[in-house]
Formats: sequence, structure tokens, C-alpha cells
Amino acid sequence: MPVTRRAFLGSVAAGVSLAADMTVLNLFKSPVLADELRKNDKRVILLWLAGGASQLETWDPKPGRPTGGPFRAIQTSLPGVEISELLPKMSTRLSRTAILRGMDTGDGDHGGGARLMHLGRRDEPSVKYPDLGAIVARELGRADSPVPDYVSFYTATEGRGNAVSQAGFLGARYNAMFLTEGSKPPNLSRLEAIQDLDHHDRARLRDLLSERFARGRQSPSLASHNEAYARVRGLMASEKLFDLGQESLAMREKYGPTLFGEQTLIARRLIEAGVPFVKVSRAWWDSHAQNFETHVELVAELDHVMSALIDDLQDRGLLDHTLIVTLSEFGRTPTINSSVGRDHFASAWSVTLTGCGIKGGTVHGKSDEDGKTVVEGKVGAAELFATIFQALEIDHRKDYFVGSRPIPLTNPGTEPVREVLA
Amino acid sequence: MPAFDALKLIKELNRQEIFFCLANVTGASRLLVGASDGNVYDVDPLAGDQPEFKPLGGHAGFVTGVAIAGESIISGAYDGKLIWRGLASGEKTREIPAHRKWIRKVVSSPDGRLVASVADDMQCRLWNAESGELIRELSGHDERTPTHFPSMLHTCAFSHDGQRIATADKVGRICVWNVSDGAQLRRLEATGLYTWDPRQRIHSIGGIRSVTFSPDGKLLAAGGVGHIDNIDGLDGQTRVEVFNLETGEKLAELSGDGKGFMNQLIFSADSQRMLGLGGAGSGLMQVYDLEAKKNIKSDKVPGPVHAATLSADGKHLFACGHGRVLVWEVDQEAPVAGQAD
Repeated sequence: MPVTRRAFLGSVAAGVSLAADMTVLNLFKSPVLADELRKNDKRVILLWLAGGASQLETWDPKPGRPTGGPFRAIQTSLPGVEISELLPKMSTRLSRTAILRGMDTGDGDHGGGARLMHLGRRDEPSVKYPDLGAIVARELGRADSPVPDYVSFYTATEGRGNAVSQAGFLGARYNAMFLTEGSKPPNLSRLEAIQDLDHHDRARLRDLLSERFARGRQSPSLASHNEAYARVRGLMASEKLFDLGQESLAMREKYGPTLFGEQTLIARRLIEAGVPFVKVSRAWWDSHAQNFETHVELVAELDHVMSALIDDLQDRGLLDHTLIVTLSEFGRTPTINSSVGRDHFASAWSVTLTGCGIKGGTVHGKSDEDGKTVVEGKVGAAELFATIFQALEIDHRKDYFVGSRPIPLTNPGTEPVREVLA
Repeated sequence: MPAFDALKLIKELNRQEIFFCLANVTGASRLLVGASDGNVYDVDPLAGDQPEFKPLGGHAGFVTGVAIAGESIISGAYDGKLIWRGLASGEKTREIPAHRKWIRKVVSSPDGRLVASVADDMQCRLWNAESGELIRELSGHDERTPTHFPSMLHTCAFSHDGQRIATADKVGRICVWNVSDGAQLRRLEATGLYTWDPRQRIHSIGGIRSVTFSPDGKLLAAGGVGHIDNIDGLDGQTRVEVFNLETGEKLAELSGDGKGFMNQLIFSADSQRMLGLGGAGSGLMQVYDLEAKKNIKSDKVPGPVHAATLSADGKHLFACGHGRVLVWEVDQEAPVAGQAD
């Protein structure tokens, strides 16, 4: 009888403690389970538009209205659907994309909004929740994977502290490889002074000592510590994944010369190699002054990079298995301020979901004619997360356990946006 | 009395539109004002307490340039179009798809025979003001910034004798051209007016927002905002850079006692002083002494100013900005110049 991954995870989720959960993950080394996982090799690339991209200058334009700003709306390949003229390439590539125009998340503070859109729910004093990347790493990662489960790029300094990267109660095993300096992990190479054989011998010695130490001890941190060491060789071998010199010049030009383009190309290399979750942060969209000129720069870049990514994934047959999420902590005010800027706005903004599990060519939700309120299809952070989980065939109602306390992936009663699910 | 020492605000008209540009009809207080709703408004701000703002439609997008040449009004907008209208009637007489991207400024030559437009396609185009014929295209600004983002060609100005035109872009480059043959006479760099943040926010802000020749033709001034630490806003000091046009030497870097863009610069008739208007969240007006190379006066203005012009007779200073049209009375003893920028 075949063992489905979902059934397997469902069974282990019932009543296991964190330490046991870590141990259970080692069972994924079973060839049967590994094969099943490969069939479900779903991936996520999160394009995190830090600081708050304007919905009016991207996915929900209001041309001709006092709030509309200077940009025109252009017809897309979807009949009757228009987006900002700053997205000409994306306007022809929406057949695999769903636009959610009814985001109402209620938190217009950078810190609070970013936490909400990373965790999918409000903080709770007694529980440290994992972020989206950690959950996806937990659900889609493989214990025997030679590559990291969760890689996060955030090179700009502004807003970096808001871009939550925490495994929470899932344990350090699911923390992100968080890259802040450039696009390559530091200290990943073997020291030149050490031969490969020496490196193996040292690892064996460490394993021996660790095994003796662990006898008779039960500790989540001990398990997590050993997990990390068990993955050292794989992580070292993954260094080439971060090397854009491995790509053709034509491919690099396709993504463009900017840091965001380069890191998105690396993200594609990573998910192609099996990394389940990669976040590429593009900061900083916080355009309190000169909103339109800022968006000329940043949306043009987003249009180019996102289009290149979609085309590339499509060409490689990866788009069916890869979900691209464009997300910010909030959108921007319809009102234009006296510095020709837009301020923080969490009451009616937009996100997109592309690829894996998504019914492309759909627009869900509607804001009013000035973009000030959601009049149809309101979506909160929890509903968005439930939609993402469902697109990845992760049951958003399943429970994790912290001790004996069940923690559902999304709060009870949360429903995904079924209209955008394939 | 030295120039710009006595300016008295006599009118403030509040509106919901954002105004970006204006032109004053010679010999009258009538203004043509370009707005965020795609209209050029025809208004006489001194005609009573609640003067009529008559909309002249036709553009789709912010109207950012308006000039008067002969008997025509010529406006340009973010829709890339130039529209000609009769000065007397306001009726549209011609519409030209002039640029591929946002038009940022439209000015007329002092003799009214030429109109110049600059746009984010990084071209300056010279047009026959009467026939609408394209006479010349001036290409000297890069389409991309050094960090590979789209650049912008913000502004331009004719010299007072009409023989030269200056164009100025986002990254601080100024090109000075010979109008008669299109030859590039000089290239200047006012890079202090551009902020690229490579670390904290990885994008840019700034650019040259105003450029003007001195009446004697010897100086060129460029205005904007100086370095900004936090480019979420315009939290940098106003900045003006002044060049010797004969040598290309930068003569002065003038930081004002205020923050935001210096969107309009107006020389005094003797080329000794300069008036600047602009701001960010709030408006400001500054006076510079060019011999002393310093800002000698700063005043607050109701709201940031996007454009301003002196009346030809020097009696009034007109300005427009975020939701406002403003009029000052100018002391007649002060030697001010007419509209040049």
C-alpha cells in the first residue's frame, strides 16, 4: 500500500512533541517516503516587497480618479483586467497568476504588518509561531536533503528586522539560511588548510562524541544541534547553487543586472535543486515622498524580474511545482500627500500568487473606485496563508503540537480563497 | 532695495488638485496652470475672492509643462502629448504625440518662436511654436542610471538671449546646447543633487528639479535637494549648484535653511541674487547672495511650491504647488528679472 506524504505527516502530527517530531523527520530517509516526496516536490519563491509596494501603481490602478496618480492602466491578456502601465511584461503573463485585490489586514505599521504577513496571524505571548518559510520548510523539506530548506535574501538594511525569519516552536532545524551580505553564504567553503579526508574524519569524531553524550538524554536542542551537523556536507556542496557564474550570460541578462534580479535567479537555481522555500527581499518601497518616481524604479524592476522568473520556470517545467508569491507588509494610501508620496495603508491592497496550485488568470476581490475600501472579496492574512498552504497541498487545518497543545496552521474557521485555487 | 527683499503674499487659492507648472500671460495676471487631473486651468488669481478655474482638458496624466508662445498655449503631460491651444479661446488647435515617456517640462524661447519639451525618454525636442514642426532633437542624457534603473530628464531652460538651452536630469547631468544647430556646448555635473542609496534602501531619490541661466548669460544654476540619509522622504537640505558657463567651473554649492526640493530658481536682473522656491511637506522660499555664495533669507510658504514665475512687469510673483495657487506682490524698487525658467 503506498504511503502518501500527507497521510504520513498527518499521522505523525497527532500528539508528537517537538523532540519526537525531529526524530520522526529522520524517517523520511525511507526510500518509499522519499519517492513520494519527490512526486510532491512543491516549492515557493516569495518576492518580499519590503516597505510596502503601492497597489495603485501595480495590480489595482485607478486611472482618472483623484487618487489614481499619473500612471495609465493597460489591458492585460485577461479580458477586462487592467493593471498599471508600469507592468507591461506582466500584463502578458497573467495566465498563471491570480491577483488578490481585496487585502485588508488592518496593520499599517511596518513592524506589525510585516510580522503579520510573515506569520499569518498575530503574535501570542505564550507561543512563538514559525513564519511561512519555516512552515513550508517543515512541510516540504526532506530530512535527507543535500540543500538548505529555507533560504532568505535580505541585503538592504532598512526593514530587515521586520522581515521575520523564525522557526518558532518548529525548532532551529527550520530556521532560514539568512543572507544579508551579498548573495552567497559566507564561510561555506572548506578551509584550504583542511583536506577533504580530514574534514570527514573530524565529522566522524564529532558524531562519535555526540552519540556518547546523547545517550540517556532527551533534549530538543540536542536533536536540533545534531540535525545541523548532519547537514553540513550538504550545505557545503550547495555552494555552487549560489554561484551565478554557473549560469549562461544570456540567462543572467534575462534576469537583469540588479541585485534583485541576480538573487531571484539564484532563487530559481535553489528551488530547482530542491530548496522548498526561498525568500528574495526587495527593499525599500516606503515611498512617503516621490511615490511615483520611486515606483518607476522599483516596479519596472519587479516587472522585469518577475516576468523573467515566470518564463524561466515555465521553460524548465517548474512552474507547475513552484508557487511565486509577491507580498508586502501593506499597500499605500490612495491619498497623495504633499510630498507627492503615498503613506502606509493596510485597508485595501493587493498581492499575487503565480504557478503551483493557482487558478491562473483570476482576479479576486475588488476595491472601490478610489481604492479606499474593499467592496468585494476581502482577504486577511490568515486567509492568504490558508490559500498558500492549499495551493501547496498542505492542509491548512492540520495541527502542530507544542507539548500537548494543538496549534493549527491557521486559526479554526479560516477558509482559503477557493476562487484562486486550481 | 535689494532684489527679493520685499515680497508680500497677497493671495492664496486652495484647490484639491496638485499643480505642477504655470505660465503667466504677459501684461495680465492671467495664469495657465497644469494640474494632476489632466487639466490646464485658466485662472486669473487676482479676479476677486473666488476666481474661476476654467478647465482646459485633453491630457491623460499629470500636466507638468505649460508655456505661452505667441498666441498659443502649449502644454505637456505625463501622457507624452503636447497640446496647442489658442491663447484667447483656449480651444485645442493641435495635439502631437511628442515623447515616449512622461513629459517633465515645456518652455518657450524668449522670442516665442520655439517650444522645448523634455521627457523621461531622455530627449529634449525643439518645436516650431507656430507650426508644431519638430525642428531638432537633443540627445545627451543616459536612459539608465549608473545602477541600471530608468533615469529621468526633469527640466530645461532657455538662456535669456534664446541662443542656448540647458537640460538637466536625475543623476545630476546638465547639458548646454546651441539652439541654432543643436551642438552640445558644455556638459556639467551637479551630482550633489542626486542620492543613490546602495545599502539601506537600494533605490534613489532627487535629481535636478530646476535649472536657469543668469540674465547676463554667464552663470547657470541648478536646484534640487542635497544628500538624503532616509530616502523614504525628502529629509535633505535644499541645494543649489552654480556654474560658470564659460569655464564650466562650479562656483558655489548653496544649501538652504530648509528641506526638500528647490523646484524653481529665478535670478535677479543684475545676476547678483537668486530666488528659490520649493519644499517638501511644507513650502519654502529662499534668497541667495551669489557673491557671498550663501543663502541669506528663508521664509515659509503655504505648502510646497512646484513652479513659479515672475510677471513680465516684475510686479507679481506667481506660484503653484500641492493644492494651491499663490501670488506675491513684489516691491517695485527691487531689480528683478522676468520669467526665464
